[in-house]
Order: sequence, then structure tokens, then C-alpha cells
Amino acid sequence: MTHALQLSQLSHAWGNSPPLFDIAQLTLLQGENLFIQGPSGCGKSTLLGMLAGVISVSHGQLEVLGQNMVKLSSVGRDRLRGEHMGVIFQQFNLLPYLDVQANVLLPTRLFPSRAKAAAQEWGDAQSQALHLIQTLGLPQSVWHQPVHQLSVGQQQRVAAVRALMGSPRLVIADEPTSALDDANQLEFLDLLLGTARRQAASVVMVSHNAHLAQRFDHMFAMPLRSRA
Amino acid sequence: MWLNLAWRSAWSRKQALAMVMVSVSVSVLILLGVQQLREDAKRSFSNALSGVDLIVGPRGSATELMLYSVFQIGRPSRNMGYEGYTALAQLPQVQWAVPIQLGDSYMGHPVLGSTPEIFTRFKSQGQGLQWAQGRAFADPLTQPEALSEVVLGAEVAKRFGHKLNDKLVLTHGQSSGLGTEHEDHPMTVVGILAATGAPIDRSVIVSLQAFEAIHVGWGMGISPSAFKAAGGAQQALDIKDLEPSSLSAVWVGLHNRAEVFSVRRKIEGLERGQLMAVMPGVALDELWQIVKVVENTLLLVGMLVAVSAMFSVAAVLLVAMAGRRKELAILRAMGAAPLALMGFVLLESLLVCVVGIVTGYVLCQALLIAGQEVLRTEFGVLVQAGWPAAQAWWALAGLCVVALVASLVPAWRAYRLSLSDGLHPPSV
Repeated sequence: MTHALQLSQLSHAWGNSPPLFDIAQLTLLQGENLFIQGPSGCGKSTLLGMLAGVISVSHGQLEVLGQNMVKLSSVGRDRLRGEHMGVIFQQFNLLPYLDVQANVLLPTRLFPSRAKAAAQEWGDAQSQALHLIQTLGLPQSVWHQPVHQLSVGQQQRVAAVRALMGSPRLVIADEPTSALDDANQLEFLDLLLGTARRQAASVVMVSHNAHLAQRFDHMFAMPLRSRA
Repeated sequence: MWLNLAWRSAWSRKQALAMVMVSVSVSVLILLGVQQLREDAKRSFSNALSGVDLIVGPRGSATELMLYSVFQIGRPSRNMGYEGYTALAQLPQVQWAVPIQLGDSYMGHPVLGSTPEIFTRFKSQGQGLQWAQGRAFADPLTQPEALSEVVLGAEVAKRFGHKLNDKLVLTHGQSSGLGTEHEDHPMTVVGILAATGAPIDRSVIVSLQAFEAIHVGWGMGISPSAFKAAGGAQQALDIKDLEPSSLSAVWVGLHNRAEVFSVRRKIEGLERGQLMAVMPGVALDELWQIVKVVENTLLLVGMLVAVSAMFSVAAVLLVAMAGRRKELAILRAMGAAPLALMGFVLLESLLVCVVGIVTGYVLCQALLIAGQEVLRTEFGVLVQAGWPAAQAWWALAGLCVVALVASLVPAWRAYRLSLSDGLHPPSV
């Protein structure tokens, strides 16, 4: 069984301030999903940044998708993210000057390996995109719509479609539901997790909302910062 | 893919970018316009009198001789002897010699006395004179009525609304006042020249003999009627007596331009060394040095305008960067490296600048071509549109370098932002 991520003694501090967090051990098997819970300011986003490879690891060990993130160059980490990860933010996921189609197909256009992965299963990237749109409960008519015509809920679903294009092995989601109302939150989450599971992708999601944790295989609470 | 993305991104901000582009192109237009007009004005100035190989006048200041014989600015402090003219006209190398007599004026415009040959010999910017109306004055030696015939330059005719057959009275000297009008010798307009942009547009041209005739009977600077009233003796008029004793200058054309130096030496040896011969092109080049400071100042202003425009481009794009943080963070989340994003931003600002530069150049050329006729006839500047001259290429290359430097500012900002923002697009 391979690991989606494996970390030990991972800590991070900005400048000379005391460490933001210090995590002794955390592992996630490929295909399983993880909920990270913690209040705002506890370093959740920094941890996600490290997992995604945009923040370099200064102390401790971190392996993501079998790659040692401590040793990998920043370009190598960008490449790993581009080829094998999907990212969903709280909101503003989509480029406003592209329509839904162009937004969704962007990962497969920027990284040929993702287009190849999509084509292997679906014939071409567009077929996979249309399938995902249907799976996530979006009408086919959004395909050519400009992004600004979509509701926030629809935008988050389009973001999920994009994150899942070209069979990523890890989806990183930062509060992806907090812009949605309560009824939509769980529905969105179920669709995201269900689709990711079928693609054997791991989902790592952070949220302050502990209610969402029940849908996940694992939950990790960010350790509170120790004050000396 | 990046190109397509950059294009779509830029298109979504097209109004702002279009304004930026316009400001670049206008400043390039100014810089190139100044540069081109500077070159053209200089060349046109050197060619203000292009058909003439040598200008001969009394020994003295070459600058003064140029000023009064080409531009009719100032007046000769002394004249050369008429014998000098006849002597140099007989030199075998001399193809033609046109005498120039100055001194009188018409409503502030210089009166130029010469032979009808002046109308065929005169060239400015390599172009000969053309008639708007009428004809040249006749040769008084064969047709005495030519003594009252006058030809007007385009500007004189336009300014006073003169038509053919209008009668006009010339003024003695350059002042106008009681008793200094040649009212007893009114002239008839027989021809009006087309505009050339050369100083001749501002001149009134009469025959050498007419120039003499209107002065016959003058004594002590007052008109014949006044002179007569004061008891002066009046003489009878004979066409043979109307040969002037002295001339202001002589325009000389050679059979072979290569002999200009030896002919110059020969002419300066005539009349016991009382003559001076000047090559107009060379002398005009020297005169141009006087205005070089103004010219350089203009160029400097143009350059500063262009450089400041480039940096306002940088400023505008830098401010716009705050609004593009989301966009950059999204692209970064999708695997774009910070350097790639830097290139993404650089590409855009560079393209805006380059397109602005090219537009400015095309605009400049279009305006110059559109204004070609006006520039030639009103300002005497012959523009040569086309590919930029060597110096303009340097200016364009310099602008591109400045554009690159200016574009690096927002690009660097994009690089820093994509590093510091991490995965998080700032909430807007």
C-alpha cells in the first residue's frame, strides 16, 4: 500500500517567532481521505501549502505521493502539484476571463500527462470533463457559460471538476464549503469525496467546521501551539 | 497555452491596457516625430537652395552673405562690383550666373532684383519653381515694359490677396515712411509663384533693371519727386543706363560640380580679391549648428516623455497587479512555477509596450505623410517617410530596452506575490 502522505516531526515557524505548529506523526494511505480541523490561525493553511509544495519544509520530514518534499526542488514540487494534485479554495477558484470549459480543461492543457491520463480512461479530456460535470450535479449547459454567470455553489462544483481532471492522486481542499450554505455543504462534500474515491484519489481537506469530519476516513486536529 | 492564456487575460483588461498602449504610442510618436523632423529639417535647411553651386558676394562674413542672399534676412553691409559678376560669368567652368540685388521692400517683404533666369535656376529641395498664375517678367533689354513688371512669392500674394495685374508700390529700403515710397514707379503683378516652403515665398521679385529704374532720380535717400521739389536735376531714362554698378550677390551654377573648389579659388582671385564664394550646402550646415541646441533640447524632451510613459506603464501594471493576485494564485495552485508567472506578466507588459511602440511609429509616419505637403509649403521641410533612419533605430531599440526594464517591475512583483501568497489567493 503506498502512502499519499507521510510526515514526521514537521514544524514551521515564520522568522524567529515560536513554531506555528509541530506535528509528531501523520500518515495517509493512497485513496483514503483526511480531515484536518483547527481554529483559524493554527497553521492549517501553512500545512496545506507544504503538502502542495508551495511552502518549503524547514524542519522535519514530509513525503507526498512518494516524493521527499524536503529534497525536491521548488520547480520539482510545482511539477508534482501540476501533474498529480488538484487544489480547491474557499472561493475564487476560476479564472474570470475563461469560460467553464476553458477553466476545467486548464490542468490538462498545462500538463500533458494529465491530458494523457484523462484520455486513457475517457478517450479525451473533454469527455472526462463532461462526465465530471454530470457527476457533480451541474447542468451540461454550464459548459460554455462565462464564470461570472454561475452561482457560488456552481463555481465550487466547477472547481471540483477541474481539481479532479486527469486523475490526480491527491486533492487538497482549503475550506471548500465555507462559502456555501449549510444544505449545500454536505451535498458538495459527498459528491467530491465520492468522485475522488472512484478515481482512487486521496482528499485532504482543512476546515474549522468539525461537523464535516464525519464524512472522512480520518481526522486530524491541529495541535494547539504550545506557549512557553 | 501560456500565450493563449496571456492573451485571454489581457483581453479581459483590454480598456486599461488600451489606454496604456495609447500613452506609449503617443510618447513614441512625439519622440520619433521630433527625431524625424529634426533630421528632415536639417536636410531641408541644407537644401534650401539646392540648385546653386556657389554664392558669390563681397569679401566679408560668409554667414551674413548666406543670411541675406538665401533667406533675405538682414541686409548686405556692402555690395560687390558689377564687374565681378561679368567677369565670373565669363569663366569657362561657369554654366550660369544669376545676379541678386537686395535692399528694397514691399510691406516688409524683401524685394529681390534679378534676371528672368532666376525662375529656371532656383531650386529648393531639388524642386524648381512652379507658377501658380501668370509668367515671369520679361527681359527689359528686349521689352522695356518689363520695367514695371513684378512677380510675387506665394506667401506675399496670399497675405495681401494680390491677383494678376494688381498694381503695387515698393518701398525704398526696409522702413516705410513719408517720402520713401516708390510711388512714381508703380509695378504690375505679372506672375505669382507656387508655394515652395523656401524663403522665396516671402519675396517680391523684379528685374535687375526695374530695380535700378525705380531708383533713378533718387538722391540722398528721398524720392525723385521730393528730390525734384528740392531742386535736384532729373535725368532722362535709357534702358542701357539701367545696368547697376554693384550687386548684393550672385548665384553661380557650374558645368561640373566637382570643380567647385577650383572655381571658388578662381572667383576669389578676381577683382583684386574683393569677392568671396561660398558653397551654400556647407555654409547652411554651419548655420544649422546655431540651432543645434534647440534641436537637442527637443530630442531630450522627446526621450524623457517616452521614458516617463514607459514607467507609467510599469506603474499602471503594478497597480493592476493587486487585482491579479487571485489569478496568479489560481495558476500557481495548478502547478505554475513563480518564474513562469513572472514570464506570464512580463510577456504582457512587453507586448503592450512593443505594440505601443510600433503603433506610435506607424502613427508618426502616417501623420508625416499626411502632413507632407503642408510641411513642405508652409515650413520648407521636406519629410522623407519610410524606414527609420539609423538614429531612429537606436531610439527604437532604446525604447524597447526601457520597455523591458519597465515591464520587469510588475513581473518581479508577480514573482514575489506568487511566492508569498502561497496557495492562498487573498480574499478580495
